[in-house]
Amino acid sequence: MTAMRQALLDVAELSVAFPGRNGPIRAVDGVSFRLEPGESLVIAGESGSGKSMLCRALMNIQPGAASVTATRMDWQGRALGALSPRDWRALRGGQMAMIFQDPAAALNPLLSVGRQIMDVVNAHRACSRAQARSRAIEVLGLAGLPEPEARLASYPSQLSGGMRQRVAIALALAAAPKLIIADEATTNLDVSIQAQIVALLKRLQRELGLGLIFVTHDLDLAAEVGGRLMVMYAGQPVETGPVQTVLKDPCHPYTRGLLRSAPTLHSSRETPLQPIPGQTPKPGAVGAGAPFRSRCPVSVEGVCDVRRAPWSEAGPGHRVACNRFALDGRGGLP
Amino acid sequence: MSKPMIEACGIDKTFTLRRDGRLVEHRALKTVSADLHEGEILGIVGESGSGKTTLSRIMIGIDTASKGEILFHGDRVATRREWRDLRRHVQYVFQDPFTALCPTMRIGKALAEPLAIHGIGSREERPARVARMLEMVGLHPDMAGRLPSQLSGGQRQRVNLARALMSEPKVLICDEIVSGLDVSVQAQVLALLLDLQKRLGLSLIFISHDLRVIRYLCDRVLVMYLGEIVEQGRTDEVFAAPKHDYTRRLLAAIPDRDRPAHHSPIDEALK
Amino acid sequence: MTMAAHSPDLDEGEARAGFLARHELPVSLVAGGILLALILAAVVLAPALAPADPNAVDLKVIRRPPSAEHLFGTDAIGRDLFSRVLYGGQVSLLVAGAGMIGSLTFGAVMGMLRAFGPWFLRPVVDRMIDIQLAFPYVLLAIAITSAVKPSVPVLILLMVLAGWAGVARVVRAIALQERAKDYVKAAEILGASGLRISLFHVFPGVLPGLMVLAAMQTAAMIVFEATLSFLGMGIQPPTASWGGIMLEGKDYITSSWWLTTFPGLAILMTSLSLVLIGDGMEARSERLRAKETEA
Repeated sequence: MTAMRQALLDVAELSVAFPGRNGPIRAVDGVSFRLEPGESLVIAGESGSGKSMLCRALMNIQPGAASVTATRMDWQGRALGALSPRDWRALRGGQMAMIFQDPAAALNPLLSVGRQIMDVVNAHRACSRAQARSRAIEVLGLAGLPEPEARLASYPSQLSGGMRQRVAIALALAAAPKLIIADEATTNLDVSIQAQIVALLKRLQRELGLGLIFVTHDLDLAAEVGGRLMVMYAGQPVETGPVQTVLKDPCHPYTRGLLRSAPTLHSSRETPLQPIPGQTPKPGAVGAGAPFRSRCPVSVEGVCDVRRAPWSEAGPGHRVACNRFALDGRGGLP
Repeated sequence: MSKPMIEACGIDKTFTLRRDGRLVEHRALKTVSADLHEGEILGIVGESGSGKTTLSRIMIGIDTASKGEILFHGDRVATRREWRDLRRHVQYVFQDPFTALCPTMRIGKALAEPLAIHGIGSREERPARVARMLEMVGLHPDMAGRLPSQLSGGQRQRVNLARALMSEPKVLICDEIVSGLDVSVQAQVLALLLDLQKRLGLSLIFISHDLRVIRYLCDRVLVMYLGEIVEQGRTDEVFAAPKHDYTRRLLAAIPDRDRPAHHSPIDEALK
Repeated sequence: MTMAAHSPDLDEGEARAGFLARHELPVSLVAGGILLALILAAVVLAPALAPADPNAVDLKVIRRPPSAEHLFGTDAIGRDLFSRVLYGGQVSLLVAGAGMIGSLTFGAVMGMLRAFGPWFLRPVVDRMIDIQLAFPYVLLAIAITSAVKPSVPVLILLMVLAGWAGVARVVRAIALQERAKDYVKAAEILGASGLRISLFHVFPGVLPGLMVLAAMQTAAMIVFEATLSFLGMGIQPPTASWGGIMLEGKDYITSSWWLTTFPGLAILMTSLSLVLIGDGMEARSERLRAKETEA
């Protein structure tokens, strides 16, 4: 094993809870990961999996009613819990930046693109107007906008959806962050634009040595992004490992079900998709047992109802939280 | 081959838009022709701005064509009366399950409404028909008493399907009906759609931006780009050997877990 | 702890929560309702509650301040003010209530017609609303009352004229917003007529907003009726509404405060109760919506 580099983000047992009528409702429950510079982590899950809330908690922009707890939450070795609101403002946008699903919501419709980017540059470093302007042109170019200089005067409404998402990326890059969190950043885009944006994020990650947290509901897209994958269900991580390994050898009944229910370019009606029966449990309805038990074909009676599965090793760097897997290994899976 | 169920002939659609204070003519459809045969599932695929939704809306008469005509069983549909007749046999399901149902109307009433409009069955037998239809789309008959806000996205899309099927149409046009759903739920709705199609002998037009869903579901596919059909043919043939450059680009942009690592066009683009 | 252990807590909690919370009744709605019920009861039961004939002149007791004998005092010709306020409320509330129902109905019909009616009616309705809103209605009232002698039906007509355009504008806005939604198009595809769509699909969604508007509208009507009467365009003496009673007391406002204060208080309390009810209904429908979505 190589000597451990300092992690960008080191998180252990992160939970986000909301007050509910019958005690706290956990939107995110027990997430742990380590992300080094230049690495990418794909968080995959359906609606209600808690993936967006997790991102918000990492950026400290969760809703006011939410309480975030973690046994460890370090940014480059520094505990995030101890940060003042002032420190957070410097970190957010400066060191870590976020790209949202809806670029229109991230951009101010009343300010020109250049003005918005220059504002971010000025907020995080002392520089002249000319310097801020050249930085704005630089990041627009990095984000792949043609004629970046001409774009400075554009308003968000004058740009197409794909162009707007590129501007949002430029905005995220403006202060030279070390980590980018992309929350379903390509979901609303056309497939060809999606491919371009993913290519752009991967290039930036490689060229600038960025850490990337990429949130998606699409496992095929996860494969294209690469790096590590964490599959979440009902707020809990259920399987994690290198993307290709997890997709080739899924070891959690949910991951398997998800892969079998998603059509690929090669699927046809001769081999029907196998939907997962039922629907995602409501937040707070999971209780103490395994989150997937109500839809799981191989749940362990008397075990899955009462306790969550411990993490089991399924391979190098590949871990799965499933009671059935812990009991019977791969043979017990559907 | 049999006579087409529904046919769009030489459809043109021009919108007048206001851009930077000037009026601009935008041609959303450029002389498009398409037909749907009995019992087939026709996919229309394209990105935003391709005109796929506009075409489908013209086929059911929510939008009117600037030029061209719609034929139903070979007859031209023109008068109000003819459109009304067409809509008993051709139904439409909307993309967004959250806005397609009236928020204040209980499910049972929403499902019974098409019967009341078209005068199908007696008032007494309508609740039984509603219950049967709810079961057919995999929902409990008790759902009839619920409001749309009490249902999940997948359940609502089932209700939308059920409602469109109440008047026993022959043709169903589905506009991106699984796009807003989670993958596991999407597979449930696709399975339901295939099941209904087989059981009721429906002809389907399935509009989607997702080539993977089109590949799985459809017999035949039309690829649309900027208001034109650039390629059409049997789904397996189009996917195996795309002829038009745009189709090839579209296929290459679809993320694919089975693609060998670092051979994706995304990685190609990086070089 | 398991889920099963939670549910007894839940039941206890539900039982402990007050009646108001369980039925999602905001305090303002209840307070406004009680206040309005009291006022209505007093006005309706005026014949039983009033100590004297409201129009009985007694020149021996002119402009007496409130006392045990005359609860609100007496006016310039010795009539018992308490009795007059009770009976005056009948006129005020009748005119305001009927005016509210009339303006709401007419306004809602016009608003829905604008959104779902035949195309040639749409600009007509728009212009009617514009004209009505631009026209100062006190002027309109003066014009009408100088042509015909004011009576209860004429006053009600005036109320409808004053109120319908505001209602129509609100209904038009909501209905146009709803018309753009897919469920309206879905109904069109099913073959539903404009009438069916507006009645069965859109109107039920407009209704809660209309109920809130109704409460506010009645409050405005009461004040408007009082204004007209105060300007001498109301019901002719000796019958008097609250505004009319204030008009009679206007000349003595410096020496006999009770003549204007008590009818004024009646107007204030009634409008206050209605505004509270309106606020409360709005808060309640919001809470119910949240609860329903949660369920």
